[in-house]
Amino acid sequence: MYAKSTQKRNWTLTADELINLRVKHNQEFIATNGAHIDNQSYFLNPFEESILLRQYELQLKEFCKRFEPPMPPYVLGTAFHYFKRFYLYNSTMNYHPKEILATCVYLASKTEEFNISIQQFVSNVKGDRNKAMEIILSNELLLMKELNFNLTIHNPFRPIEGFLIDIKTRCDMQNPDKLRKGIDEFLEKSFLTDCCLIYSPSQIALAAVLHAASKAQENLDAYVTDSLFANSTQMLKPLIEAVRKIRSMVKNIPEMPDKNTIKALEKKLERCRNQNFNPDAEVYKQRQLRELNEEDEDTNDQDVSMMSTSNFE
Amino acid sequence: MEEDGCPRCKTTKYRNPSLKLMVNICGHTLCENCVELLFIKGANTCPECNIPLRRNNFRVQLFDPHVEKELDIRKRILKDFNKKEEDFATLEEHNAYLEEIEDIIFNLCHDIDILETNKRIEQYKKENRESIVKNRQKISKEEFELEVILENEKEISEVRNKELTVIQENAKKKKTLEKEKLIDELMFSSGDAKSIVQTYAEKMEEDKKELDLAPPPPKLTKFSTGIRFSSSIQQQYLPVPKIDEGPIFIYEEPEIELYGPNIPRYEEISEKNYLKHIRQENQTERAGGFQSKIACYRAITEAMQGLYPF
Repeated sequence: MYAKSTQKRNWTLTADELINLRVKHNQEFIATNGAHIDNQSYFLNPFEESILLRQYELQLKEFCKRFEPPMPPYVLGTAFHYFKRFYLYNSTMNYHPKEILATCVYLASKTEEFNISIQQFVSNVKGDRNKAMEIILSNELLLMKELNFNLTIHNPFRPIEGFLIDIKTRCDMQNPDKLRKGIDEFLEKSFLTDCCLIYSPSQIALAAVLHAASKAQENLDAYVTDSLFANSTQMLKPLIEAVRKIRSMVKNIPEMPDKNTIKALEKKLERCRNQNFNPDAEVYKQRQLRELNEEDEDTNDQDVSMMSTSNFE
Repeated sequence: MEEDGCPRCKTTKYRNPSLKLMVNICGHTLCENCVELLFIKGANTCPECNIPLRRNNFRVQLFDPHVEKELDIRKRILKDFNKKEEDFATLEEHNAYLEEIEDIIFNLCHDIDILETNKRIEQYKKENRESIVKNRQKISKEEFELEVILENEKEISEVRNKELTVIQENAKKKKTLEKEKLIDELMFSSGDAKSIVQTYAEKMEEDKKELDLAPPPPKLTKFSTGIRFSSSIQQQYLPVPKIDEGPIFIYEEPEIELYGPNIPRYEEISEKNYLKHIRQENQTERAGGFQSKIACYRAITEAMQGLYPF
């Protein structure tokens, strides 16, 4: 039930709240990591972060599209939700989006019962697969923790089916299935916006259906006013407003800046990111080693003296 | 005087001393030969009262026919009327209960109000089904314990008998040995024959006393591991503690908050032709408990819920 879900309670916010959260976590990162640096432009600002995130969202979409075996759309939807939720409370400079991206897809394939092993999964990744596997598995728990273990996602795909069945039953429209192409395009675009963090899945679904209908020169207004909201006309106005906003959000996805700008941003991120969480950094490797040693000490009492002497050296 | 005999072939004990009379639950006798003849297929009716009988239920007649009949009935009745004195609050109630049992048995034995009495038994069975089963289990448990005790006793006596025979045999051997020795000595010794016999007699006397005094060796009832020989170790489970049951669960329909327009009731899905527009479940899916109605209802619910702006 969506009404009592964690999605509605914890993860549906207003547009202003979203901006505030992002700015807040950007500033928090700078405050904790940038005490010794005066030059404020050393770090990414919230706007630059959002550009990078959108860039990686496009990559996420491509990754899922090319995934072998083919992935059902709700896995993609869930992965998008996870990705967006994660970066509401974390800065890109703490955790690099390209690492979180793969982890999100992996976790989504699990929660949506798209059964796949980690070996199969990393065979879809370009580059060093063992390293990717290590990164995904070590980030998985972190991701779940940051999601507050609210793993159930209500995607707009089932509401779409519901609306189509309802339209077929209560409305004399010719072949509503022809809307599907327009609907799918709309939903795909909607994942690149924040609307899944602001509106309920059924509202997004209705917006998609209405958008596809208007594109196909069909009019579903009568269905909305006379069938859907026949008994609750006072709710009609705010709903129309919500649908209008969703449609304008999807329509007005800002253009991506040119490649050079993005490359510059990525370089900047590589420089200013938190080295403690960078798998390539020396600090990270040392920390991992230290943690491993600590684990060994816990389990292996005999080696304690040897370990401690080697640590002193 | 009425002679003991088979009512069917008219053979009597007098004419055939090895005649074996059999009796079944109706209490009418038949000789062994007639039983074999009539019940060759296993089941038939009693030639006297036409009650269907089974061959397995025939047994050798020990008492008068009507006593046998009563025993049968009593056995059957007591199987169900198996309450003990502990089950009653007062002695009077228990006595009334026993009286009732006797009443029923008497009625059945003498064909008085058979219908009425059978009704009484059925009703009792219905009312006391649980306690009957419980008491039966109790009784079978008690019987089992009794059996174990009997077995133990049997074992003990067997061991003791064996020991006794061994001791006796030893004593016999010893006696013959002594006798031979005595004769040898009498033959070859040069001493006084009387004194030799005297000493031997004394020695014998002493041995006898010793034998009587020697306690029988302790009986073996355990393996070296301490586990008992007999089967009494099995089935000694602790009784399962009875859990107090809480109030009975009453189903209440959950209240569903939709934040959206009303959805059709579950029954209306098929009535209002919603199902026309989706794939029918196939046979395999139906066997697994799936109906396309469920999926349809779910899709429509998810479409409507959360549609109102909040």
